[in-house]
Amino acid sequence: MFGNFNLDKIIDLLKYNPNDPLIFSTSLFLFLFLFFLLFYNLFSKSKIVRLAFLIVFSLYFYYKAAGYYVGVLVLSAVVNFFFAKWIGSTENFTWKRIHLALSVIVNIGILGYFKYTNFILQIFSDISSQQIDPLAIFLPIGISFYTFKSLNYVFDVYLDTLRPTKSLGDFAVYVFFFPNLLAGPIDRASDFLPQLNQELFLSKEDLGKATFLIIAGLIKKVVIADYISINFVDRIFDFPLRYTGVENLLAVYGYALQIYCDFSGYSDMAIGIALFLGFKLMDNFNAPFKATSIADFWRRWHISLSKWLLDYLFRPIQLKFRNLRMVSNIIAIAVTFLICGLWHGAGWNFIIWGALHGFMMTISLILQTPKTKLYTFLRIYNTKFLKFFQIIITFHFIAFSFLIFRAPDLNVIGEMLDQIFNFFHADVFFQFVEKLPIIFGLMLTGFVFHFLPVKLEISVQKLIADIPLAGKAILLVVFIWIAAQFKSADIQPFIYFQF
Amino acid sequence: MISTELKKVILKQLNLDDFDLQDETTAPQVPGWDSLNHINIILAVEEHFKVKFKSYELLRLKCVGDLQKLVDSKLGR
Repeated sequence: MFGNFNLDKIIDLLKYNPNDPLIFSTSLFLFLFLFFLLFYNLFSKSKIVRLAFLIVFSLYFYYKAAGYYVGVLVLSAVVNFFFAKWIGSTENFTWKRIHLALSVIVNIGILGYFKYTNFILQIFSDISSQQIDPLAIFLPIGISFYTFKSLNYVFDVYLDTLRPTKSLGDFAVYVFFFPNLLAGPIDRASDFLPQLNQELFLSKEDLGKATFLIIAGLIKKVVIADYISINFVDRIFDFPLRYTGVENLLAVYGYALQIYCDFSGYSDMAIGIALFLGFKLMDNFNAPFKATSIADFWRRWHISLSKWLLDYLFRPIQLKFRNLRMVSNIIAIAVTFLICGLWHGAGWNFIIWGALHGFMMTISLILQTPKTKLYTFLRIYNTKFLKFFQIIITFHFIAFSFLIFRAPDLNVIGEMLDQIFNFFHADVFFQFVEKLPIIFGLMLTGFVFHFLPVKLEISVQKLIADIPLAGKAILLVVFIWIAAQFKSADIQPFIYFQF
Repeated sequence: MISTELKKVILKQLNLDDFDLQDETTAPQVPGWDSLNHINIILAVEEHFKVKFKSYELLRLKCVGDLQKLVDSKLGR
């Protein structure tokens, strides 16, 4: 009976649960991944077995988070495989275009149905002042990521820069690949597919990099992002009026750090886990808060998405209207950032967030020439002095835009800004440091590490690469343990400083 | 091999005195050749060589060598 009870519990644990996806920082994932890695390496010589393992494990990984909606994922892979095949098999340009258009309609149709139907109904309901009830539509996790991943394959085949793969199995591995399935990086088929035919080989440097990325990702995601979110940022965003301006401002900075650590930490782990399996995924973040302009920020933040939007949305629009010169850039920026905002979620805050970035990019495009002239006149062009101020100003704009991104409704944005500008109370900062030393320490550490030179990171990777395999394993276990301690730590009591 | 003529048009548009443009050089490697400035270069090339590219042809370009080949094909070289 005791045995039965345990078996039921294990089955329950392994079954689909939308609230408990197999994200990399869960112990269940680490446990299953260890077994998977063992079998994967045992059969490393046989490509078919190795890839079959990858497909089965990836489908299970998706099932755990999305249940039977795993069918949508399979459908996405099959549909795009055949559309690309048809596009690649004809020389007739009209046929290519028709197939491309159909592929886009099907992909965006599926994405649109699951992600935007209720948002559109809500807009209709608001305009017509008729009550329209939202439909019970389940949003399959990661759908925006794998739709874009599949689409880049179709686009590249259409542009004739990539030959379609003959193997549906290979394409399925690309689309299902669990490390980047739920949250990117939105890897390119042209980079990924050729790797399927390579033998599984991991150099000392690859192992060092993979170990480093998983450790860095765990610290960013679990120790910094999750901890400051639960214990600080969420509380301020929930009731901004209960706190002084200085706390609201720290929460805005804290959220910028949290979203960066959460997202880039997850990407780091994805890239590290993929490396362990012998696959190199594209980089996704490059110290985005070091950006000296909004354009520079987008070259450093969620690189796989911004490159996708640049290649398949911005450039086509820009080149189509190129005779309009600067206006073509402005049209392309406006459309790209609006879509970028919408891609992040169906809500006005995401649209405003995207529009704001687009607006700032346009302003800086228009002011580019006079700005360069002014800086040259003042003899500060390309100086460290200027860069320092550009970084600070850019960071504040980014942090402000993330405030819009995060705020549960537009009122909260107003309340937080009002507290920051009219009820600042700088003296409360010292109480904050004294009463919440862990939060302050984590935020400080997060930002300091962010601004360290890239060279240092590479040196650490090399250092880890030189440690023997057993040492790397111990290092990983130690950091997993540290992350677990933070995860299980009691929620920190919070003090309303102003009272 | 990038022709002196094409090189001259690109460098003039970018306000560069000199830069070693090779077949495999990509836009981000050249100072000032960013995604926004890209259309100015394309328009300058079209105007100088009196050719018209299709968007589809331009989207396929990966490096300066590809642009050279595209110009050559339009000029029937």
